[in-house]
Amino acid sequence: MNDFFTLFNVELLHSTIRLSTPITLAAVGATICERAGIVNIAMEGLMLIGAFTAVFFAYITGNPWIGLLAAVIAGGIFSLLHAYATITLHLDHVVSGAVLNILALGLTNYLLILAFGHPGTSEPVPVSLAEYQFAVPFLSQIPVIGPVFFNQRPIVYMSFLLIIFFTLFLYRTKTGLHVRASGEHPLAMETIGVSVYRIRYLAVIISGLTSGLAGAFLSIENSNVFTSGMTGGRGFIALAANISGGWSAVGSFLASLFFGFAEAFQYKMQAARLLDLPSELFVMFPYIATVIAVAGLVRKSRPPKAVGLDFRIEKQAD
Amino acid sequence: MKKYLTWSLIFCFILFTGTLVIAMPQGEKKQDNIMVSIATDIGGLGDKSFNDGCYAGLEKAKDELGMEIKVVESKQMTDYVPNLSGLAEDGSKLVFAVGFLMADAILESAQHYPESYFAGIDIWIDPASAPKNVLGINYKEHESGYLAGIVAGLLTKEYVTISPKLNNNNVLGMVLGMDIPPVERYQAGFYAGVMSVNPDCTVISIVTGVFDDQAKGKEATFVLAEQGADIVFQIAGLTGLGVINGAKEKGIFAIGVDVDQNYIAPETVITSAEKGVTESTFLVIKSVKEGSFKGGQNLVFGLNEDSTGISPYHGFDSVIPQKVKDKVNQAISDIKSGKIVVPSTRVEAGYNQ
Amino acid sequence: MTAREILYKYRVIVFILLFLLAGSGIILYITSYFAGLLFILLAIIIYYGFHFLLKDKRIVLSEIKSIAKKMLIPLAGITIAVLIGAVVMIITGYNPLTAYGALFYGGFVKNWHVSLLNAAPLIFTGLSVAFAFKAGLFNIGAEGQYYIGAMAAAGLGIYFDWHPLVTIPVIFLAAGLLGSLYNFFPALLKVKTGAHEVITTMMFAHIARYFSSIFIRNFGGDPSTSSHPYVTDPVLPSNWLLRFKDMFPWANYRLHSGIIIAILTAFFVHYLLSYTRIGFEIRAVGSNPAAAKTQGISTGKTVFIALMVAGFLSAMAGVNQVLGLDHKLYGNLSTGYGWNGISVALLASNHPVGVIFTSILWGALDAGGQYMARTQEVHNSIVEIIKGTVLFLVVARYLYTYWGQKRKKKETCNE
Repeated sequence: MNDFFTLFNVELLHSTIRLSTPITLAAVGATICERAGIVNIAMEGLMLIGAFTAVFFAYITGNPWIGLLAAVIAGGIFSLLHAYATITLHLDHVVSGAVLNILALGLTNYLLILAFGHPGTSEPVPVSLAEYQFAVPFLSQIPVIGPVFFNQRPIVYMSFLLIIFFTLFLYRTKTGLHVRASGEHPLAMETIGVSVYRIRYLAVIISGLTSGLAGAFLSIENSNVFTSGMTGGRGFIALAANISGGWSAVGSFLASLFFGFAEAFQYKMQAARLLDLPSELFVMFPYIATVIAVAGLVRKSRPPKAVGLDFRIEKQAD
Repeated sequence: MKKYLTWSLIFCFILFTGTLVIAMPQGEKKQDNIMVSIATDIGGLGDKSFNDGCYAGLEKAKDELGMEIKVVESKQMTDYVPNLSGLAEDGSKLVFAVGFLMADAILESAQHYPESYFAGIDIWIDPASAPKNVLGINYKEHESGYLAGIVAGLLTKEYVTISPKLNNNNVLGMVLGMDIPPVERYQAGFYAGVMSVNPDCTVISIVTGVFDDQAKGKEATFVLAEQGADIVFQIAGLTGLGVINGAKEKGIFAIGVDVDQNYIAPETVITSAEKGVTESTFLVIKSVKEGSFKGGQNLVFGLNEDSTGISPYHGFDSVIPQKVKDKVNQAISDIKSGKIVVPSTRVEAGYNQ
Repeated sequence: MTAREILYKYRVIVFILLFLLAGSGIILYITSYFAGLLFILLAIIIYYGFHFLLKDKRIVLSEIKSIAKKMLIPLAGITIAVLIGAVVMIITGYNPLTAYGALFYGGFVKNWHVSLLNAAPLIFTGLSVAFAFKAGLFNIGAEGQYYIGAMAAAGLGIYFDWHPLVTIPVIFLAAGLLGSLYNFFPALLKVKTGAHEVITTMMFAHIARYFSSIFIRNFGGDPSTSSHPYVTDPVLPSNWLLRFKDMFPWANYRLHSGIIIAILTAFFVHYLLSYTRIGFEIRAVGSNPAAAKTQGISTGKTVFIALMVAGFLSAMAGVNQVLGLDHKLYGNLSTGYGWNGISVALLASNHPVGVIFTSILWGALDAGGQYMARTQEVHNSIVEIIKGTVLFLVVARYLYTYWGQKRKKKETCNE
């Protein structure tokens, strides 16, 4: 039993942060998106596009920051497809997301062959963002929390900042109010003269930007190459994190931390050899934890009223 | 009713236009050289393992023997038979099937095309019932694992002074992609190798469950490093790239797999447990060219055929003590002479994890 | 008696003759006599000519017009996809005409049996996704239920030794019920806690995939005699689905009767959705849950039925593969039948009979793509791009209605 408690240490926290960062980023985007009334299951594909773009631009320019910027922009552009399909064309949100996921996988595979000449993996980028790790002075001296939260890499810091930013955005700004309102009662928004379409476009693009960033984290910060299909279902887990986090930025963050923790803990359990079970049971554990979290925590909160519903304005011809 | 009609009309339309397109004359390719070809399994090229290795063997044959080569990547299980048969139909003299998933497919194709030769990598055929134009090619991965285990087992205990990256914990780690037979052979061999020189060493394995997620490989490596491991053996395909990067970041050593992976991180990868797919592929092609191909049997490539083993130490050549090298060479000759039989499963190796 | 009356009197015979003509055309075609296509064409022309003779010409014309209109959108989508693929091929230096010729020849002529072989599991998973869609649910984890079905088929197939007419239906039923049971949990979570089925079925799919590894290890061969214990033991030959090889001596391909079961299942699902009370309730809940509630339809019950039937259908895909094709269960294969099932369902706009056609189209693209890659040395990820673009069919349909509405609005403005 004593062995069991030694598993909980600073390393576990580090591991949790690393594994949860891409989920956090995508989940925060999902929060904004769903708050505005659009379900976005295309995040898996958006992350993949972001991951590929990041590696491609970091590889040809030699500068990971350009890769990061390109990934964010590419995520935003690809998300426009989802916005156009769901908002303007009134396509079912889930259908559009599923199609975009399939398209993103095919597209990145083909581009990988065109850009690097062979399938599977890309060439490694010359400089990865991991080399820009820095410790915040003073704060990183705090025991336990310091090294975990204040001695990190750029995108991890960005994810912390984005959580604060989007929380303030949702509850303290006028646009944030509009975002929440267009997910709860779009018709009322339209009657006070705010374009629901515009707000929803904005929200989908935000989720594209953060998903692109999450992809960049996977490819040029936590690794240095792109592998075909490297997101491995994280987009869906992010959606789960958003739901179990009760459609709020901070909740999404906490839920993502939980999923990251489940996976980190799984490796620890395997290494510690406390239980003599088939390894697959450990590998399954994060997925089971996700189901339990979604089922157990979702009851306390309520989804935005108009989420996933089509909104159509019958404008009078003038 | 109308709906079905719509769909069937669309279908007919496709059929008609398609027939028009194929009715156009298509140039026949004539070939002068002997053609050899591979059909990959669903892993496809870019797996940095046996698919790539086999393709490299074909390219070598193209350069050195002037063969014409062709490669088809299978997308799903149902593609295997048409791909293998089709390659034979295209005039390929020798067709490689890569991966044990194609075991049934290769037998079926070989029956339909008796004039072509078929060779299956990682496929074990039954010599009694298999057609005479099929060859099974297998590897003793456990031998490579055993040699790598000797290097790791010695370095982590007796020679920790040679590099600051090593520590006194006497712990080694392994990161597995999935728990499948070739991986298990490497694992069992590695464990046996470590135990032969360092019986009280702790060897920890982590299964990531995937062959293509570097983030997971990296995380597993970090956990191993935290547990005190100073050398990590990766048997995880593309996940293993994350293992090597993670080892680099944590300042510990890694051992590569399948091919010489020193180029990925020259300061980190001390050696790699190799499986000479490229060489053995080339040998088989050569036997076809020379007319000495003999089917209906299994070839097992191991140390005796120079197909398994560990790669050169590269930058570590001067660092690694002569005693370690001697021990490895001793093991090589013992395995060759049959004095040591390397276990190929965890049960035989006595590894209970 | 006029000619018209005579024709009307013997219309049944004429229909049978037409049917025979078209049928022989198909048989000729798949045995590589392309003239068979002319037979099919002839049959269609005669059918319409017959209509012209018997019915009011204006009605028939408007009928043809509406069919042509309906065909326009999918055909436009396919044409766009083909053109985009052609552009990609020209850019990367291939001749699109020969490449497409090979794609077509491989998919529909040379390897037509592989296309059908590919299509069979897709029909099942496509039906599964489509059925859930009808109730407004998204069964994204069809792959997981596929694994459950495959495991059940392998487990039962190895030990269940009886007459095949008993064992095969029982295996299908048992595997299907297990698949339903597996989807019972997502349905329960959906009804009780509101957990979204996209997440739960997806997670359950991952769990099933890893569970299959454990399963295989326990049903696998003896590691000391078999070189690769990472497959289960083969199922008993008496449990194999009947192969075309067994029925026709000249058939030297692996096609098995699973495709027939799949097509029959599709028609059954169509019947279930269109002509039964359950089907009506499912469609009602799917199109307007609030209205369905006021009519006294229990949404909770519908969720259970829809997801469990979906689980049943996906599990049948697994049985089809294990008993029909592989005869054993291989581990850790990412089959992709779940994802492709979504594609074919979307493409067929969730119509069960449409799923048959789209699955065959998808299977033919796969088989033809392999043929194209082999003979023309065009990389077969072009096929993926074509598939992705063909999926835009779905979007294209919406584009069409969207633009149509806009145009209408403009017209009303001008008036």
